[in-house]
Amino acid sequence: MNRTITMNLSGIVFHIEEDAYDKLNKYLSTIKGYFKNSEGCDEIMSDIEARIAEMLQGKVSSIKQAILMADVESMIAVMGKPEDFAGESESPKNDANSKQESSGNKDADSSGRRRRVFRDPDDKVLAGVCSGIASYFGFDPIWLRAAFAISFFVFGSGLLLYILLIIIIPKAKTTAEKLEMRGEKVDINNIGKAVNEEFEEFKERVKDLGNEVNSPENKKRVKSSIHKAVDFIGEMFEAIFKVIAKVVAFFLIFFGVIFLIALLATLFGWGTISIFGNAGDSVRFSLYQLSSAVLPNDLPVYLVVIGLILFLGIPLISMIYGGIKYLFGIKQKNRVVKYTANILWLSGLALVIYVGLQLGVDFSEQATAKQNINIIQPKGNTLYLDLKPMVDDDEDESSHRHRNIHLGDWTMISKDENKFRLGYPTLNIVASATDSFELVAIKSAQGYNKKEAGYRAKSIDYTVIQTDSIIEFNSYFDIESVDKLRAQNVKLVLKVPVNKTLFLSKSMERIIFDIDNLNDALDSDMVNRKWIMSKQGLECIDCGGLENVHKHKESDPRLPELPPAPPRGK
Amino acid sequence: MMNIENTKAQMKKGVLEFCILSVLSKGDHYPSEIINKMKEAKLIVVEGTLYPLLMRLKNDGLLSYRWEESTSGPPRKYYKLTPLGEQFLKELELTWNELVDAVNKTTQK
Repeated sequence: MNRTITMNLSGIVFHIEEDAYDKLNKYLSTIKGYFKNSEGCDEIMSDIEARIAEMLQGKVSSIKQAILMADVESMIAVMGKPEDFAGESESPKNDANSKQESSGNKDADSSGRRRRVFRDPDDKVLAGVCSGIASYFGFDPIWLRAAFAISFFVFGSGLLLYILLIIIIPKAKTTAEKLEMRGEKVDINNIGKAVNEEFEEFKERVKDLGNEVNSPENKKRVKSSIHKAVDFIGEMFEAIFKVIAKVVAFFLIFFGVIFLIALLATLFGWGTISIFGNAGDSVRFSLYQLSSAVLPNDLPVYLVVIGLILFLGIPLISMIYGGIKYLFGIKQKNRVVKYTANILWLSGLALVIYVGLQLGVDFSEQATAKQNINIIQPKGNTLYLDLKPMVDDDEDESSHRHRNIHLGDWTMISKDENKFRLGYPTLNIVASATDSFELVAIKSAQGYNKKEAGYRAKSIDYTVIQTDSIIEFNSYFDIESVDKLRAQNVKLVLKVPVNKTLFLSKSMERIIFDIDNLNDALDSDMVNRKWIMSKQGLECIDCGGLENVHKHKESDPRLPELPPAPPRGK
Repeated sequence: MMNIENTKAQMKKGVLEFCILSVLSKGDHYPSEIINKMKEAKLIVVEGTLYPLLMRLKNDGLLSYRWEESTSGPPRKYYKLTPLGEQFLKELELTWNELVDAVNKTTQK
């Protein structure tokens, strides 16, 4: 049993089997392709359709109501293949319009057909993609082949594109298709010409309209002039829309390819992630490396890579796919491709979600670990605080390692196989309960439970260097790379006994954080000054006349104050 | 290089137009009728050939058509010669006779 389709051909309704319908449809569109550029194409088509309708009508009876494949085939045998009859009837056009054309730059091989893109099975290295595209645009395929060959090595993106093109572009199977493949050149001139021709056609139709209305015999076929005008405007809009759509399609392909290459480069190559740091400041981390620094040990990195390729790559490929299909007017629909793409995308989504959940779980608990850092009490009353310059520690490493990665207030200073070096610890200064200086590091980290987080916090390595009364703080702390990045952080608390003094060097500005002081000075105003721990709190010694200059605005005496409330007993 | 198919097609082309005009000079016909006559004479093999030809002759003002309802199937286009077409045909007949003479003379030698 076969499915039948109801079809209207030249005003007559037919029941036609599906395969026969496809055949007929293809036949008609091929003919149309042949006559596309000859004048009166529409009229020829409607004549031919009328004749086909007549022939097919002879094939049905009250017993046999459906048109079968055999009927269509025998009709085509009588009617002839388009390449049989189109060539035979072709002759030089003799109106002024076409003279211009023939004297113009018409190539010998351009027989006036609209060019379509096919894969060329007669001139191929792999699947004829390059030669097909090259003959569509009319250049030597060797350049395209070379470009593809090179792009195969650019993270394999060329290969991907090539496979995509094999799927999208149909192979030229029949002679007609091969001819179409080499048909008229598609360039700006021809696009202009095509638009012109369309316009001429409209004019012709508008002109015909008058004649047709006047002939009483065919009133039946004449649409009202309003209809025609509406059609005309509609077609104009359609033409404009088509041009816009082509441009959009081009950009879809263009950006699709760019982003696809960027994606692959990010995942496999040396693409830097530029959201970090200032321009030129980014450390060369591939996403691959970064995710290996974050992902739990039992979660392989390739899961992320595959997940992201599918999740982001499939939409990009679909963009390119759709763009190419539209641009080259390929109508072929491939359900298998569509379903496969959908399934792959969904599995990519599932992978990304899975990895995200796994990762999220690993951040679910936070724990802190306190560590007292031993300080030799200074001989004098004053402790000098300084920040150690970052670089001199590993001078042997190449310079780009020392550029930072910032993500919010999180900074990665460097990274090697065993260690991540992160910045910056923060320092707070409070009064000491005893009469000696004390330094406490409060280290925190996250994990899937408190215990795990606690281990991580403990294993954070932070040191200071003391020479006499100078304490040099490191601007970084180290974590083991097996611990992974789990929001590790170090908060330092320096406890200062009453009546002892401190000097903050300029570089300390980087790590001090919101230190309470009697002068209400901001962090940036606290450096390069001496401070004493009075009973009330930290107080500036050498701020001199500037004493209140750096106070917070709300207590700035220079701000106009509200007049004092009037005395009550007035 | 000369292409024999091409030459044959060229020869046929002029003759085809001539024949179509001749068929129509004997009365109005719709395409199927013209096709049948041409097929009998083995001038054309496939029907599709005729439509673009008719179209061109019509566009050149040699033919005109009118619609006529058909008892079976879609309305038919009946073609007929215009005065210009008749004149054209006369000239073609003259040329044809001259050609036949000329060809006979040259090929019989």
